[in-house]
Amino acid sequence: MSTTTDSPAWESTHSSSSPWINDDWLSVWIGLLIFFSALACLYGYDLLGWAVTTSVWIDPGQALSTVSKAYAALGGLGGLAVTYLALLAVLTVGAAALRANVLRFVAAFTVVFWFAYASWIVGSFAQIAAVTPADLQKYGISWSLKLTNEGGYIVALIAGLIIANAFPRFAEWLKEAIRPELYIKIAIVILGAFLAVTAVGKLNLATTVLMRGVAAIIEAYLIYWSVVYFIARKWFGFSREWAAPLASGISICGVSAAIATGGAIRARPVVPVLVSSLVVIFAVVEVLILPFLAQTYLWQEPMVAGAWIGLAVKTDGAAVAGGGITESLILAKSAAEGVRYQPGWILGTTATIKVFIDIFIGIWAFILGYIWTNYVNPSKSGERAKAIEIWERFPKFILGFVLTFVIGLAIALVAPAEVAGKLSLSIAEANTFRVIFFILTFFSIGVLSNFRKLWQEGIGKLAAVYLVSLFGFVVWVGLLISWLFFHGVKPPLAS
Amino acid sequence: MSQPDIRDELNRSPVEPLLPVEKKLIGWSFGIGVVLLVALIAINQLFPLAW
Repeated sequence: MSTTTDSPAWESTHSSSSPWINDDWLSVWIGLLIFFSALACLYGYDLLGWAVTTSVWIDPGQALSTVSKAYAALGGLGGLAVTYLALLAVLTVGAAALRANVLRFVAAFTVVFWFAYASWIVGSFAQIAAVTPADLQKYGISWSLKLTNEGGYIVALIAGLIIANAFPRFAEWLKEAIRPELYIKIAIVILGAFLAVTAVGKLNLATTVLMRGVAAIIEAYLIYWSVVYFIARKWFGFSREWAAPLASGISICGVSAAIATGGAIRARPVVPVLVSSLVVIFAVVEVLILPFLAQTYLWQEPMVAGAWIGLAVKTDGAAVAGGGITESLILAKSAAEGVRYQPGWILGTTATIKVFIDIFIGIWAFILGYIWTNYVNPSKSGERAKAIEIWERFPKFILGFVLTFVIGLAIALVAPAEVAGKLSLSIAEANTFRVIFFILTFFSIGVLSNFRKLWQEGIGKLAAVYLVSLFGFVVWVGLLISWLFFHGVKPPLAS
Repeated sequence: MSQPDIRDELNRSPVEPLLPVEKKLIGWSFGIGVVLLVALIAINQLFPLAW
């Protein structure tokens, strides 16, 4: 769907009869399905080993393989086909539960998957992805863009942007499967287990990251929000109805926060939808710029970089996936300098910051709703914000993230060594799907970003507030706070 | 609401002055935020966590 006001809200557009079936809960169910299927490895059942994985390649025939050698007979293309069919089946059931147009979803998802994964394969081409001199020698090439294979996210984003802006009718046709919030939430649920396995060897460092995540909450809700709201109201003359969702969108976590705030203050639906569209556009710009700035200026402070991306990039999808790009870029640069960090810590810091911020959306929306319905715009009918709204607006995918993290950590710490030893392998299989959902997220965000149409809708003044707030304040304060709290904290070295 | 309406609304809507409750919300949020951040920074300096 394009980011326009005549589109449905891009979070969850399809009503369902059950509160347990929406994009948010669906991400929990699908994420847990993948997680528990992966855990079957612990008991000798390799249920997900057929999933496709991509290596850096110079010969296309070497690009794809299955994640487990047990399924090597399938071949890379066979693995890709099975991965597509499995995701199609699971997500189609989800689409049916959401009462989406199932046939349209099947057709659109097919196109989305193949475009997105083709982008990933292109991004793994050695002349885009190879990083170290040893890699260049290995592939027999003299230069490369050194984007690492996660440069495929950028390729997917650009592919989506081209479709959105050059082929808007095609983008509109794809909209049933353009669900970046669903895809990234599934990825985050899986990410919980991956982070648990990463954290288990260094629990002190993991605790440090968690403790410092508290600073992010204070910064986003109390400092960013108040300043952006003031700028929008006082400098740009926005009404309260526009300024509050805008402040939440810029300050907290983008789309979810704008929609939660819009609902809480009883704004017209068009307001948070338009703000959400703006958030996506700016997230695209940020993801194309900030990871490279982080690699250039913060490669010696990897955790500062991870925290900064979590604080500066709004929307969960762009932030967490941007953390993934930042991690691969910094790990590559560090490796070139002879320092090899353990993967997972930079991305883990970004995700922790984002999850911490997300947790309080419901509470913040309730506070705003209480103030609005009692003091700013009291309803004659006596309608007031209710405490149950805190739970209703709580992002449920965080429960899935916490669950996979806790189970993963418990297995690693408590299970017999024989079982725990297989955990890394099983989580690696789940992580393959996390990467695929990241790719789908990037592609979907690109398809949502129709710049011209958004401009025609008169979004210029909103964009001006965003530009002033984001690049004049949010990015720099985020950098300062990240520096203050994560300066000197280094990821463990790879063994 | 049609697109021209939104453009007009955003560009020509009358200015709503800040209400006292909005000023309080901005002031208290920002003030509490700065105080808590300074406190966290102080705790962070005084009791650095090991890793």
